[in-house]
Amino acid sequence: MRLLTHNYLQSNVKGTEKGYPLTIEPTKIEYEESPIDMEFVENILTKIDYSALLSARNQIEDRCHSDLGSDFIVPSLPEVMPKRYSDGNSKDDKIEEDETNQEAFLKSIHTILFDIHVLEGHLVCPDTGRRFNIKMGIPNMILHEDEI
Amino acid sequence: MQQQQQQQPVHHHQDHEGCSLAPPKKGNEEESCSAGAEETQPDCTSTTTTNNNTNTTTTTTRSKDRRDRQIIKGEPPRPQCTSTTDSVVVPGLECIHDFITEQEEQALIACLTGPHAPWAPAQCNFSKTGNVKRRVQHYGYVFDYETANVLRDRSGKDGEKAWCPPLPCLPEEYEGCTDDELSCFIQDAVTNANGWYVLAGIIERVRRYKFVMTSSQHPASTTSRMVLHQQSYRFLNQMTVNEYKPGEGIGSHIDTHSAFGDGIMSLSLGAGCVMNFKKHTLGQHNEEEKEELKTKLVYLPARSLLLMSGPARYTWSHQIVTRMTDCVCGKIIPRNTRLSLTLRTAIELPSPTNNNNGNNDEPCSCTYAKPLPAITSNKFPPTKWGDDACAVSHEISSSSLGVGDFATPDTEKNHVHAVYDAIATQWHHTRGKRGVLWPRATRFLKELPKGSIVADVGCGDGKYFPAVWEAGSYVIGTDISEPLLQTCIGSCIAADSNNVAGAGAGPETRMISHLKFGLNDRPAVAVADCMQIPLRSNSCDAAICIAVMHHLSTFARRIRCLQELSRIVKRGGLINVQAWALEQEQNSRRKFSGTDVFVPFHAQPKYLARNAVVSSMAGEQEQDKKNVAQMYSDAYEGAEYNEEKGLVVFQRYCHMYKKGELEELVAHICSLEIVDGGFECGNHFVILRVI
Repeated sequence: MRLLTHNYLQSNVKGTEKGYPLTIEPTKIEYEESPIDMEFVENILTKIDYSALLSARNQIEDRCHSDLGSDFIVPSLPEVMPKRYSDGNSKDDKIEEDETNQEAFLKSIHTILFDIHVLEGHLVCPDTGRRFNIKMGIPNMILHEDEI
Repeated sequence: MQQQQQQQPVHHHQDHEGCSLAPPKKGNEEESCSAGAEETQPDCTSTTTTNNNTNTTTTTTRSKDRRDRQIIKGEPPRPQCTSTTDSVVVPGLECIHDFITEQEEQALIACLTGPHAPWAPAQCNFSKTGNVKRRVQHYGYVFDYETANVLRDRSGKDGEKAWCPPLPCLPEEYEGCTDDELSCFIQDAVTNANGWYVLAGIIERVRRYKFVMTSSQHPASTTSRMVLHQQSYRFLNQMTVNEYKPGEGIGSHIDTHSAFGDGIMSLSLGAGCVMNFKKHTLGQHNEEEKEELKTKLVYLPARSLLLMSGPARYTWSHQIVTRMTDCVCGKIIPRNTRLSLTLRTAIELPSPTNNNNGNNDEPCSCTYAKPLPAITSNKFPPTKWGDDACAVSHEISSSSLGVGDFATPDTEKNHVHAVYDAIATQWHHTRGKRGVLWPRATRFLKELPKGSIVADVGCGDGKYFPAVWEAGSYVIGTDISEPLLQTCIGSCIAADSNNVAGAGAGPETRMISHLKFGLNDRPAVAVADCMQIPLRSNSCDAAICIAVMHHLSTFARRIRCLQELSRIVKRGGLINVQAWALEQEQNSRRKFSGTDVFVPFHAQPKYLARNAVVSSMAGEQEQDKKNVAQMYSDAYEGAEYNEEKGLVVFQRYCHMYKKGELEELVAHICSLEIVDGGFECGNHFVILRVI
């Protein structure tokens, strides 16, 4: 499960006020570098929930260190997304960003969204504490009969 | 040689009310109480030369003779039946051929063996040696095999045991309609594949039928029969459906006098069979009488209606011998699965003053007992045995659908989820890899803006993923089947410059350009129920839901699926829904005779996970083929093993959509508008926009 996918997942357990975002408790993580599609990443930024991405990134950091070696560094992300992306494809920059910062940011986003894979672990509903299992990178979101 | 002499005498249930005839023996409607049946476990192979040796030099005359007459070793002898016309020789017995048309027959079979068929739970047989094995359904009143009587108290002390679905009846506006109106109603029902309406119509047709009662002084000569009067049986209030698989039969019996009034009708569906009738009287008989008492064989063709009245109902027993073939007018006819639909009038318990003293030749006074009240319903499908769900209501407003209504019904658990779990590997190999993608769906995905987030609800093995990726978008797939989702992983082949096969990257070939390879190895999928899609609201740019809606068994669930799709897609986003059409194309191999059907899937054992278990078990001992079949059907509940083809046959529940039905469903959801719709490759589709 990528963090991009996680950004969309929510819990629908009965009685949940808001089953999003799910807390990640990873027990096995892999990293696989993939080619960056800059345009795609820029586009995606307008659709994701940035604060959920931030929390997710922090939740997996420890596991990344143990599974991927101490050499691996999970890119850090600013607390707030650069304005040009949060306004949705607005190219009229109020604040001038310099090119390298922009590119670095997009690369970080790409790595975090696409290249880190939670293969095993749990997703936890922030409201009810219900745990959803992840196996072979596939989260199991099926609810029991008393939860629907 | 008459096999019947070897059988046990007829069983007539002793009524406490005192209309016994023969001394009571074993039970009434037992499955196979004739002695012959126990010994016969005929080879399931119905071809002629099974056990006869094929070495021509040592072929004996006798075995050759047996081969010529297609005798199967171990079967009871097969007497000649010569009665195939109305010239039946049992007083009170009438056989009306072609009582229903072939189309009506198909419609009835489709609903009575379809996903909503209310099969009764296994009941103990009369002699308490075990359960009645053949499948049965009861409508109106339960017939209890253990006591060989009708359970009259549907509510109270008999409790759940006495419950069964009501007898199907016509819609209110057709009550008291003319015969012509009834014909039109039935014809419309056939055309619209409304099996339950066809059933209600046919029951009414039986009720109205004017049987011609004749004398039968000279049975051999039809010209001497006199018309006595006409009779209709308007108070029919009980129906039992029996499924007779080849080789199954029913022991010799007379229907309990105190349970049912005069006039018992049986409609044969799917196949014909020979029925044996034998008169039972006490005392000495002269030669002429003995001749009359010989067993009579009557052939009941498919679609015929058999009436047993007067002596045929009260004095003569009937039986279907358990064997694999019948011989009718010199021709060997193999038995096929036959459904018998028996209509009767359940009556109140006769009061003590009503008895005669069991005079053999006349019906006793319980024929004059009052019929029980009719328990009928014109709502379909009938609720299942012990299950309150399933009522179809077309006035559900969106807000009244509570979340708790969406636990998976058994039909879908057993005939959708379990099936896909079992066949996942083969599904992926045969449909997925060389998958057929519906052109409209592929076009839909190509036309989405690049960089869209697409939800594929019910994605199966992910066969539409390459189309999304090639279009530059990202897909999150959900499906109820974990095994099927696991086949998504790494299922595509990279198209690279060394690819000699020549086919370039593209969704049809499942080859994707190298750029997307990371996506293929790890597709974004989650196990989930489409009733509760685990995606946040208004998050996706688009959604597809292909070949999912036809596996949803109720109206409420179909609405819910559309609501969920509408919830997860942002305003202005598009949704493509596709489902199987009732109207198939001209040359299609598929023919659906009902709106809710079972569609078989033939699985090769090598692809089945439990095949390993079955094979090893079969290898340990010298099991004959029949036991392998049993093992497969045990390992996969509800699946059958087709020995001839060596395949395990699963039955998938499907609801076939009529033209406009998807649009009708969408009309219930105010947040969706229809942008496009149509028919392709046996599917109806709609393109929707979230507003």
